[in-house]
This record gives sequence, structure tokens and C-alpha cells, in this order.
Amino acid sequence: GRDVQVVDPEVRAHVYSLVTALGGFNGEDASKYCLGDDALACLRDIKKWLRLYDDKTNRLDVARCLGESNLVNGDLLPIIASWRENNGHTKKHLTRIALACLELLVPLTWPVEIHSQMTVNHHRHTPYLQQSQVNYKRGILDKNSGLETLRAVIQIGLPSLALARSDRTNRDEGILKLMLYLFRNVAMISPPRGLAAEGDEEETSRSATINAFQDQDVFALILTICSNMGDDFSFQDVILIEILFHLVKGVDVQKLFMNDAQRSVKRKDELSDLLRKETGVKREYSKNAPTRHGRFGTMIWVKRDDAKVSTVSGQDVLKDGQVALNKMDQTKKWNRPRHGRRQEVEAASGDFNLTTNLTSTATKTLRTFVEEFLDTGFNPLFIHVRQAIEREAERVLDIHTLQFLYLISWFLQVERVRRSTRRKEHEKNKGTSREFEPDSFSIVAGVLNQETFVFLDRAMQYSFDNKEWQDLNANMRCFTQVLLTVQEMAASPLEEDQEIAENIQNRIFYEEITHDRILSMVRGYNEQGFGYLDSCTELLHVFVRMLENYSKENVDMQVRSKRRARRAAKTKESPKNKDIQNDEEMASEDEDRVDAIRVSRERTFDFKRFAARFCNQKSVDTFVKFTTYYRELDDEQLKRAHRFFYRVAFKQEMSILLMRIDILNLFYRMIKGPGALDNSKPIYRDWEELVKQLTRRVVKKLDQRSGIITEMLFSKISSTVYFLEYGHEKQTLSFG
Amino acid sequence: ATDSATPVLGLDADLKAKKQRVPTAKLDESRLLSQNGIPKLRKNAKTKLKFKGKGHEFSDLSRLLNFYQLWLDDLYPRAKFADGLAMIEKLGHTKRVQIMRKEWIDEDKITRGD
Repeated sequence: GRDVQVVDPEVRAHVYSLVTALGGFNGEDASKYCLGDDALACLRDIKKWLRLYDDKTNRLDVARCLGESNLVNGDLLPIIASWRENNGHTKKHLTRIALACLELLVPLTWPVEIHSQMTVNHHRHTPYLQQSQVNYKRGILDKNSGLETLRAVIQIGLPSLALARSDRTNRDEGILKLMLYLFRNVAMISPPRGLAAEGDEEETSRSATINAFQDQDVFALILTICSNMGDDFSFQDVILIEILFHLVKGVDVQKLFMNDAQRSVKRKDELSDLLRKETGVKREYSKNAPTRHGRFGTMIWVKRDDAKVSTVSGQDVLKDGQVALNKMDQTKKWNRPRHGRRQEVEAASGDFNLTTNLTSTATKTLRTFVEEFLDTGFNPLFIHVRQAIEREAERVLDIHTLQFLYLISWFLQVERVRRSTRRKEHEKNKGTSREFEPDSFSIVAGVLNQETFVFLDRAMQYSFDNKEWQDLNANMRCFTQVLLTVQEMAASPLEEDQEIAENIQNRIFYEEITHDRILSMVRGYNEQGFGYLDSCTELLHVFVRMLENYSKENVDMQVRSKRRARRAAKTKESPKNKDIQNDEEMASEDEDRVDAIRVSRERTFDFKRFAARFCNQKSVDTFVKFTTYYRELDDEQLKRAHRFFYRVAFKQEMSILLMRIDILNLFYRMIKGPGALDNSKPIYRDWEELVKQLTRRVVKKLDQRSGIITEMLFSKISSTVYFLEYGHEKQTLSFG
Repeated sequence: ATDSATPVLGLDADLKAKKQRVPTAKLDESRLLSQNGIPKLRKNAKTKLKFKGKGHEFSDLSRLLNFYQLWLDDLYPRAKFADGLAMIEKLGHTKRVQIMRKEWIDEDKITRGD
């Protein structure tokens, strides 16, 4: 009865007959799954179909047929369950069948994603398969029908797991891989965005996954493998990274460490915050809402120069000239065409910018797991993975770097929040509990060593050069968290920690290249999306603040700077240059020479000079873009933007950079509306004061130099900035 | 072979009267530098723009913004305020406008007697 054959009918017939022959629920006891006579052969045949038809010819037809015939939920899961319940592991034949089921489960749950090399068939089947994979996940996590699939899968892997690493055969390693990949797939599958969900979404949510992992001892298994990484396990490291990534991506660390009471308070706060916001919106509306009916038909003239008038209709405009002007603007229909960067098709599973909410049980479970993981498995796993990535081991894929970096940032944040909650708890019951013993930071030391910094550094440069923004985003977050952790270490009561922190800071701040790169990442914002904006502004904020403190404490701070002595070399070699005809040759030689004559030398670091360098139009523009999201930003983010502008305008005396009508317009809207910030918040006062001070300067400047009236329309040219700010030309001194 | 002449001459083909569309006005350098553009802004700023000063920051700021908005509305009525500003900012990067900008600043320097 199908109108369109999406799959070759013969293929469908073959696959269906195999699935039917596998077995079913139609023996004497209808609740019991009966294996067909040749079940193992059937399973192997299905696997062959998948491999030889789907993989070889690059289609997804067999996978689709298997989805339509309900193989996973109807056959594979019941077979695995009955194997576990009937002590199947004692029977060799049944164990083989269970393993064959697992061998099918893994490819069937393997995430199908939109990628660049899709064929017509892929496009046809992908939405269907995504939908059915969610169903598979529902079946795998389903506890109500008595299936404990995850536990059964562990049991399949257990004999291989128990062997010492040297005794394991390739087959054993393969089984371990299958087992872990299944967990990865389960963690990774999520309802596709943009497709209507079928059934209860709760059953396949992150919370459900976490709970099932806890109930069926998957977490225990992960902890065991992670803490023995390097000894008993080796090749499994990147799969574990993937599992962890898909479990924790987008989880709010702060919320993880609140107890129920705090969380409900927080939630109430959020609710009242939202309600307040809503009343704000309503109030603003009612302020300007018509007081009479919709056809009352008021019309006013706005008198303008040269005896011209504009007409605006509506009663609201009577009240206030500002409203009339706003309305004049809003009623224009034309929009400026925008040629933005086309949003790349981002694999939904790799996106860590989306926040995920967990239920309170799942939060508790995840928290326990994460704490245990930090205490035992963090260092061995992360050191091992870093080495694997550096060695470019065969199992390592591009995506792993991103996941690795994101996980570092996430776990470092966890560690910091855990410490602060502990400290707070201790302060609360000061009298009753025993003396507070500060922990050392050694449990995260695996990512705070020189090797990791070199790794971070290189990865950051690489993704920046190759324009891999999502990677760079993860990298920036990671670097931010490293900085924050080091800062906390420096404040630790343990002398050893302080010493290490001092050392690390020395290294981080010693390389001027790092300073330059952070600046260029902020300046390089060009439609990379909000996630990038958020990360790069946060990194700059944290970095500058710490660098400032550090250079204050270490007055004689030295940095290693790589300067080019290009000009000198050029004049020296110019006669030789003329002989070379081949452009390409010249270019490459040029590069070599530039490299060769880059000299590195040490010089005293001057924070003022550094700060002056990020006061330029480009970084101001980046922060302005960030600030345009002011209605969605939280207090911390608003503070970040405020501090930056404050520094530019008043500490560095470059308020001229902010004197642009579009920036002033944005600032004015933030304070006075429409759509202003919530004026009951403390951050509002900060902003109000900033805009006030800035306006004062603008007025003064307009008074002093009338030429600025035109310059307010444009980004300033660097040659005139100094004159506009100070009213005289820059005195150029020659430095020796 | 009888009707082979028609396609050549095109006599029977429907004549389509093409409507001459007035080309849409563009906000470009010459418009920006025309009498209605920046020269007017400079002239008006001297006479029309008065500030109250300390204590009236926000009303001053809104006065300034409105001044620009009305000017922009006269110059290029099609665009919304924010769009227009962005377009002008972009024009500011062109050579011609940059030269003019330098000149305006220099004029300012001279009148102040620097």
C-alpha cells in the first residue's frame, strides 16, 4: 500500500523475512520470547545485510527496513533480557546470540547526523531513522517492562573486562568497544530538533539517561575503567570522553551543587524574576497602550524644519514626543539587506551551548557520580586522552579535541563550585563540625601541568587559524576556567598550592603571544554566533583582570615577545629580491625570512600599554554586539560588558571610541526603553551611571570640537582618534 | 515556409510594454555628501543643537539622538534609524568619505586656531 517505494521491495522482503525468522512472542507462553531455530544465523545475516548493502553502497535502506520492522524493541531487547534472566551466560550458544544482538544494536543506534557527504538516500531516511532511534532509546531505557538492557550489556562485556590487559584478545577488546559504544549511543541520541516528538519526551530525556545509568551500574563501570586508565585500559579512553561529554554537555554546574531547598529557592527566584520581567513588559505596554478604542483615530503632525511635517497616527503619540519619533521609525517597512555568514549546519549533538535542565533526582545522581569521578578517574583519564590526541593516535577523531576541552572546562568549574559550597557549608556549622581542612588541588592537577598548557596553546592557535569556531569556543571556555582555577589556587591556604599557582601564572603571562592571541580572538568576531561572543568576552574579562592584578604584584614582570625585524631585513635584501621573477617562490621565501628574523627577547611588561591595545574600534564593536543581547544577558554578563566599557571610556580615556550614534542609541534604549533593563536590579544602576558619565563627555566634546558631530556617525580612523580625544596631535617619541 | 517570416519580423509576437521602474534611491557616498547630507548636519548642529548640561544627561542624550534621527529621515526616508546608521558607518570606510572626514576635522582645527 505505499505510493512511493523508498526502498527496493526485494531488499525489504529479504530483511523482513529474516526478522520474522528470528523468533517471536507466539509460543505457548505469549509473554515469553521464543527464539527461532536458526536465530544466530538470522542475526548474522542481518548484520551482513547492514554491512554489505548499507555500508558498501552507502545507503541507509536496510537500517530503515529494520526500523520499520521494529527489530530492536520487538526482538533484540527481549532476547537480551531473557538471556540475562535465564542465566544465559552459562550457556555458550545463548551468549553468542546475546553478543550478536549487541553487535546489531550498536550500528542501529549509531547516530545519524547531517553531514557534508549525504546522498539522496541519506536525506530520505535520516529523519525517519532519527525518529526511530529515539524509540530505540526509549526501549533501552525502559524499566517498566522489567528489561534491564544496560545491565545485561555490561554482563556481556564482563568476562572480557575481567581479563588482564595482556590476556585480552582482539575479540575481547572488540566486545568492550561494543559495550562502551552502546552507552555512548544511548547518551548521545536525543530527539531531533525540528521534528515533532512522538510519545513522552520525558522517557528519553537526559535525566532518564542519567537515572538509568545509575540504576543499572553503568556509572560504576565507567568509574572503574576511568580510574584504571593506563593500567588495565587504554584504547577506551576516547569513547569514555564521548560518553562523559554527552552526559554533561549543557548542564549548569551551579545548579548541580544546590540542594533541593536552594534549588527551589533559585527556581522561585527565577520565576519571580520572570514574572517581574513580564510585569515590566506589561507596564510598559500599558503606559503606551491606547486609552480609548482602536478606531478612535488620532493623528498628529510632527513639525520639522523647513515647514515640513510628518504625520503619525495613534493616541499614544500625543503624550510624548519620544513616542512619536519611535513610531515614525517603527512604521518603516524597509529593512537593510543583511549579508551575514550562513549558519553552518551544526551537528546538534556537538552543541554544548544549549542548556539542559535535570530533574532533582538526576541532579543528585549526576552530582554524586561527578564527584566520585573527580576523586578517582579524572587525572588518569584526562592525562591519557591528552597524550593520545598529541600522539595523533588512530582512534582519535577531530571531534574529540573539542569534547576534551569542553570537559576540562566543565570539570574545573565543578571543582571550583564544589570547593565553594564546601566552604560555605563549613562556615554555616562552624561550631559543630571539626576543623576545616583545605584540600589541595591535586585532584585536577592532570590538566594544570605544562604539557596541557602547551596543548591548549597549540589547539587555540590551530582552531583560530583554521576558523573552527566551535572548537575555538570550547578552547576559550577551557582557558577561562584554567585561569579561574589558578586564581583560586593562588588564594589557597596551602603553601604548596600557592607556589604552583604562582608558577603557572608566571608561565601563562610570560608569553606575549598569548596576550596577542586573546586580543585577536576578541577582535576577530564576525558573526560566529552568540556562543563565541560569550566565550571570547568572558575570556578577555577574566584574563585582563588577572593580568592586571598579577602585574601589580609583580612590578618587574617580564614577558617574552617575538618581534619582527622585518623592515631592516627587507632593505638589506631588496637588491637580491629584484632578480626573483617567480612570485610564488618569493612569497614562500618571504615567509621563511619572516620566520627566520622573528627574534624573541624579553622586555618589561607594561599593563597600561596592553590595556591600551584592546581599546580599539574592533573590540569595542565586539562588546557592542554582545551588549545588543542585553535583554537575554544575566547579571554576570552585563557586568562584564559594563566593566569593559568603563575601562575603555574612563580608565583608558578613550571615550571617543564609544561616541558613535549607534552605540549611544543602544545605551539609551538600555536605560530608557523601549525594552529597557529591569531598573530594580543593581546592575541597572551601574549602567545608568556609565551612560550618564558618557553623555556628559559627549556634550562636553560637542562643545569643544564641533567637528565631532560628523565623526559620531563613523568608526574613527586611528590617525584621528588621538586628536579627537585630547585635542592635540600625539607626540611621537622614539623609543630606543 | 509561409509563416516563416513572422518570427523574423516579430509582427505577431505580443508586444510587452516594459514598465520603466524608477531606480530606487540608494544611500551612497554622493547622497551622504550632498547638500542634504552631512553639510546640513554640520550647519544645523551649530544652530539647533542645544544641551542643558549637568543633571539632564538623559534628556540631552535623547535630544541628540532625535536630532540625528530626523536628519537621517530627511536624507533617506526609507531606512529605519538603526539601519541607516549602519549603512552610513559602512560608507565611512570609503576613500572619498574618509578624505572628507579628515577635511572636516582639519577645518575644526583651524577655526579653533590650533
